[in-house]
Amino acid sequence: MSIKKDDNWEPKILAFCCNWCTYTGADLAGLNRMKYPENVRTIRVPCSSRVNPQFILRAFQKGADGVLVCGCHPGDCHYATGNYFTRRRFMLMQRLLEYNGIDPKRFQAKWISGSEAAKFRDTVTEVSAQIKALGPNTKFVAPHYDNALQAKEGGAE
Amino acid sequence: MAGLTEAQVQDRIREEAKKALASGEVSAVVGWTSTRFEDKTKPYFAETEAECDLLVWNKYCINGTGKFALDDRYPEKKIAIIARGCDSRALNRMLRDKQLKRENLYIIGVVCDGKENAVCEGCQHKNPLTYDVLIGEPVEEQMNAERFKEIEAFEKLTPDQRYEYWAKQYDKCIHCYACRNACPACNCVECYADQYRTGWQGKAADREQNQVYGLTRAFHVGDRCIECGECERVCPMNLPIMRQTKKMLKDINDLFGDYECGLPDDAMPVLGTYKLEDPDEFM
Repeated sequence: MSIKKDDNWEPKILAFCCNWCTYTGADLAGLNRMKYPENVRTIRVPCSSRVNPQFILRAFQKGADGVLVCGCHPGDCHYATGNYFTRRRFMLMQRLLEYNGIDPKRFQAKWISGSEAAKFRDTVTEVSAQIKALGPNTKFVAPHYDNALQAKEGGAE
Repeated sequence: MAGLTEAQVQDRIREEAKKALASGEVSAVVGWTSTRFEDKTKPYFAETEAECDLLVWNKYCINGTGKFALDDRYPEKKIAIIARGCDSRALNRMLRDKQLKRENLYIIGVVCDGKENAVCEGCQHKNPLTYDVLIGEPVEEQMNAERFKEIEAFEKLTPDQRYEYWAKQYDKCIHCYACRNACPACNCVECYADQYRTGWQGKAADREQNQVYGLTRAFHVGDRCIECGECERVCPMNLPIMRQTKKMLKDINDLFGDYECGLPDDAMPVLGTYKLEDPDEFM
C-alpha cells in the first residue's frame, strides 16, 4: 500500500492497549457508538509493560507514523505493579527516541481506564491530529517499507 | 599514584598474584602482559608462579579485566582479578546481576591514576570499590562536572541533524558484536541478537537492523552502564556508542535522582524497579 503525497494522506497509528483497562475502554467506546479516527490500529497486550521498546522501533520501521502505548492508571494495574515499570521505561524511551531524532509526539504513552471511553476517543483523536500535522514518518523507516519513498518513486506516477 | 611508583605497583601485583596462586584457592590471575609493541598491553591469565612475573602495570593497561570472570561462570577454584576502579565496578555490576558469585572471585584492587584511554579523563572512581586486597594508597575521588556535557551539546542539534548523525553512524556498524562482548552489563547467558530464529534481530548489516541493534542495546544496558567505555574502545568502526547509553544515564539522573552504577550497594537497576512517587507524564 503506497501513500501518495496528497491531502488525503492519513497517518497509520499503532496503539498497544492493555487488555484490562484501555482495551476495555476502547470496547466501551465502540458500544457507546463513539466516533474516533479509523487510522488507529489496536493491538491488545496483556499489560502495558508487555510492550518491549523494540516493538516501537519495529513499528516505525514497518511504516507506523505514530505509536501509542496505553495502560491502566498507576495503582490500577491488574498485575499490581506492571504500569509502574511501563512508566519508567517509556519516559526514558521517549527521550531516547527524541535524542535520535523522532518527534516525541510520534511516540506517546497514556493512562486510560476501562470506564474512560471518552478519554480513549479524545486521546486517539488528538494523537491522530498531531501526527497528521507532522506528516508521514521518514525516520527509522526501512527502505522496503518506506511509504514516503514509494510515494516519491513509484506511487507518484 | 599516591605513594607507589609504577614499578612498585607492578612488583606488588606480581607478589599478590603469586601469593594468591600459592594459597591453592585460585586457579588463575587475570591481568595484563606486555606485547611486542611498547604502547600496547594485552589481557593475560597467569596460571603458574613463573607466569606471574609476566604481569605488567603501566599506563597502557587499558583492557577491562572484569568481563573475563564470566568466561567461567561456575569455576572449580576462585579466579583472581586485578581490578582498577572500573573493573571493580564491572564486577559489582555482574555480581548485582547475579551472574557471578562473590566467593568465586579473589579481587586484587589497584588504585589507578588513569590510562592512555580517552574515557579515563572523566573517571569518578580511581579507587577500586570492591576488593580482597588493595594495592596503593586510595586517592581522593574527583566528581566529573562535565559528565554529560557532550550529551547536552548534542541535544541542541535539530531533530533532523540528530537523526542523520545516528543514521550515518549506524550505516558503519558491521554487526561484530564486539561492544556486547566487552560490556560488563551485557551479561545475558544468551544474547537476544544470537537467537536468530526468533526474528528479534536480523543478520543483515544494513541501517535497519543496525538501528534496532544499537537502540535495543542502548536501552537494555542504559540503566546498568558503568561508563567504563569498553564498548567504544573495542568498536572497530568507531561508533560513539557511549553517547546513547550516557543519554539514558542523563535522563535517569534528571528523572529519578542521582544515579551511578557498579557501586557496592545493593541498589536495583532503575528499570528493574519503580517508586510510587515517580514523575508521571502520561496522565
